[in-house]
Amino acid sequence: MTERSTNLLQGTLDLLILKALVTGELHGLGVSRRIEQMTQGTFLVKPGSLFPALHRMEENGWLTSFWGESENRRRARYYRLTKAGEKQLGAETAEWQKIALAMTHALKTT
Amino acid sequence: MNAARWKSFWRNWFRKSVVESDLDAEVRAWVELAADERIAAGASAADARRATLADIGGAERLKQQVRDDRAGTGLESVAQDLRFGIRQVTQSPGFGLTVMATLALSIGIATAVFSVLYAMVIRPLPYHDLSRIVALDTRSASGGPEGPSYPEYEDWRRLSRSFSAFSAYTQGSAGMDGSAGPVVVRDIQGSDNFFDVFGVSPILGRTFAPGEDQPGKNDVVVLSYEVWQQQFGGRPSIVGETVHLDGSPYTIIGVMPAGFRFPINALNAVYAPLHPTQNQITNRGNHWLATIAKLKPGVTAPQAEQDLDSIFTQLGKNDAFNAGRTVHAVDITTWVVGDTSSALRLLLCAVLTVLVIGCVNVAGLLLARGVKREREIALRSALGARRGRIVRQLVTEALIFAAFGAIGGIALAYGLLRVIRLLLIASLSRGAEVTVNLPVLVAALVTSVAVTVTAALIPALRLSGTAPTAALKSGGSAGASRRQHRLRTGFVVTQVALALALLVVSGLLLAMLHRLRNTQLGFQPEHMLTAEVDLPHGRYATRNVVADFYQPLLDRVAALPGVRGVGVTQMLPATGYGYNSEHIHIYGTAPLKSPRTDPSEVRFVTPGYYKVFQDALVEGRIPDPSIDKPTTRLVCVVNEAFVKKFIPPGRDPIGMEIGDNDQTDTMPTQNNPRSLIVGVVKNIRQTIYQEPFPEHDYMIGQIPPAMAAFVISSMNLAIRTDGDPNSLIPSLRKAFQQVDETVPLRDPQSMDAVIADVLTFQQLENWLFGAFAALAVLLAVVGLYGLISHEVELSMREIGIRLALGATRRAIVDGIFRRVGWMLGLGLAIGLAVTLAAERLINAVVEIHPEQNAGLIAALVLGLAAVGLVATAWPARRASAVEPMEALREE
Repeated sequence: MTERSTNLLQGTLDLLILKALVTGELHGLGVSRRIEQMTQGTFLVKPGSLFPALHRMEENGWLTSFWGESENRRRARYYRLTKAGEKQLGAETAEWQKIALAMTHALKTT
Repeated sequence: MNAARWKSFWRNWFRKSVVESDLDAEVRAWVELAADERIAAGASAADARRATLADIGGAERLKQQVRDDRAGTGLESVAQDLRFGIRQVTQSPGFGLTVMATLALSIGIATAVFSVLYAMVIRPLPYHDLSRIVALDTRSASGGPEGPSYPEYEDWRRLSRSFSAFSAYTQGSAGMDGSAGPVVVRDIQGSDNFFDVFGVSPILGRTFAPGEDQPGKNDVVVLSYEVWQQQFGGRPSIVGETVHLDGSPYTIIGVMPAGFRFPINALNAVYAPLHPTQNQITNRGNHWLATIAKLKPGVTAPQAEQDLDSIFTQLGKNDAFNAGRTVHAVDITTWVVGDTSSALRLLLCAVLTVLVIGCVNVAGLLLARGVKREREIALRSALGARRGRIVRQLVTEALIFAAFGAIGGIALAYGLLRVIRLLLIASLSRGAEVTVNLPVLVAALVTSVAVTVTAALIPALRLSGTAPTAALKSGGSAGASRRQHRLRTGFVVTQVALALALLVVSGLLLAMLHRLRNTQLGFQPEHMLTAEVDLPHGRYATRNVVADFYQPLLDRVAALPGVRGVGVTQMLPATGYGYNSEHIHIYGTAPLKSPRTDPSEVRFVTPGYYKVFQDALVEGRIPDPSIDKPTTRLVCVVNEAFVKKFIPPGRDPIGMEIGDNDQTDTMPTQNNPRSLIVGVVKNIRQTIYQEPFPEHDYMIGQIPPAMAAFVISSMNLAIRTDGDPNSLIPSLRKAFQQVDETVPLRDPQSMDAVIADVLTFQQLENWLFGAFAALAVLLAVVGLYGLISHEVELSMREIGIRLALGATRRAIVDGIFRRVGWMLGLGLAIGLAVTLAAERLINAVVEIHPEQNAGLIAALVLGLAAVGLVATAWPARRASAVEPMEALREE
């Protein structure tokens, strides 16, 4: 995901972050890498977008954070989904699927 | 805001350093981790770090991006909003000033006037068990007010069963030896149970003991709080000390708490038991007392009236004075507030009207501004401003207006109150303790701030809710703004209507005041000086007041340069009725059908009085002290109204005799109850408001010396001067000192000032309504002007198109005026309807008389319409000056 498209697809970034954290806690760079992997390299989330989003989502109560140690023994900030975050993921997934379906349908129509 | 947000809000604001260092560490960790990745991929350490930093785009910028999104950032941006708001306000100072001035005027005037009303009408009186206190308004058979004489009071008190305390009192003034020389205090004398009526305990010492109103025991005095503070410095040891009132020693027995006063206008009062003279103790016809009582629990006012009525009937069997007497037990609040309450209620309506007009105006102005700023708001929301952010920005601006308006309003309220207090001094019963009423101030502030914010919010909410593109495209003339225009048209119509109502009331008041000022009083009040004379009771009780005081004083004053004439009277003309004799009978005419129904005003004067008031002699002569002595035949002078009423047509009043066998009359002579009419003079009005009343005047020189001390110890001096009456005051004071230095020159003022004092309440009303009306008209005009110029501004493009399509400029202007004419017409019609509908309410202040005042009302209507049209002229001119090409290009 480039900086320019972030603004237009703000909801998308939130959804991707939530999805990335389903499998377990990750630090910032981990989230970024996981999104890259999940989207097969389509979205490359830069820290300028990622950090504000993480902090905002934490303030919304969807994530919690704590200090932990990375695999290569660096101190890093880890994020984990909360109950509210899981609910939010469900809601946003449903919403997104509706949009995606509609968009696909719309684009198919000639 | 959920719990998580509150938590982070708390952290962001109060643990800022922790949050900041966490953020810093987090960013640094990212850099390290990302660099590790690059190194693992084969980059050198330095390259990896550089590439990562480039990726971030600057650590500081990143951190700022995070901070911007944090909870609580709002408070920081409030300061921003405030700065922006102030810039907005100062950019169009005319608009800002109008809104703020409107708010200030509405708040200030509403608060000040309401505070006066509260102090005079609404605030409870400072007595205990108010509902049980009644003033007994006793009337003689002929309906005139007549309190009891001392023996009557004793009978009533003994026989009545309705009261837990039934007190008689009298009020006067006395000279007291204060700490800084002699001062004049209000001297309220009451029966021993006087304080029982009010149920208020003294803060020091005690009040009267039972039986303490008997001669020998009654030289005790209770001080009011003011006197205690001002004359004795609030000394707690004051009880037991001796003070001299009119030269006689009194023992101070107590001090009343602050705020206790009876009568309620008695500032600087001292309270002493009654000190009746021998005549007062025995004379049943000498009605010098007033009564006030506390009902027994469970007894109603009508029951008390019945109780007293039966006593009057019982006593009336062998006592002429009680026969036919009536009593009305008036509850104390009504009695104190009295006649002014309905006038004040109308004033309250006027206050609310002004507040409504003010709020409507502010709302209209802010709505208009909202419409003007549609595009700005749309642009901001298109650029990503959130709805809440825009709303907050507009509310902040509104609050800036509200804050300045409120500050101005508070200042104005205090200032106005100072002025009102000056005007009110004595003429309103409770005027002296008028202070700004805080609850009302707060209420006025809240109302106007709420209106301001609401009016600012409406466009903000509407605009931020719609798609920005629509507003941007339509260029600010969307359908919604037309709806707002209808709303604002309604505002303008309301304002015009209310303004007209106020204008009519104030116009009528002005006309009435003008009439009263120019009433044919029967004398020229210019070049006249008056002063009060109050002889110390103790000093003159046994002396010949005429020979020892009045005559020497009159001689001295008459000799002063610049004095044309000097006289005394117990009551100045145009200031009210004094006492009257109720049983006038002219010897040699048919006896009156029912006695005691034909009163005539009695005045005690000196011959000089007629010279001062230039009271032209119609026939006969003015009495002369060298002919009419205490020992010679009692003579009197009557006025034309007296002749008309009592002397049969065609008979010469001179030489006729007035029978005064009614003991209520004040001039019984030792041997001959008849007085001889020696002269007839032209009428002089006793009050400003009513036609002259029959009057017969006695000369003070003929009052038996034994009675004189009590009948004429309190008189008014009247002097006709060559030039400015006030310039005579110093030499007059000197004359007083030469005759008797213990008698102060009290309250010297010109007759003009005396009359102005009488009219103070009318003047105050006039002033207030005038101010209200002027303000209302001003606001209505501002509203009209604002609406029209705003409409013109918004329809520039339309006008441009119409002009381009061939419309004449005249047609454009005509269209605008037609619209204004319609609004004005509707507003004026509603205003007239409202005024007439409120006639009953308005009558409390001034009678409308539609047929008599039609001209005045029509003039006011036309005047208001003209002002409205003039206010429209300038925006209309602007509309007609539109250059079609420019107007179209601007869009």
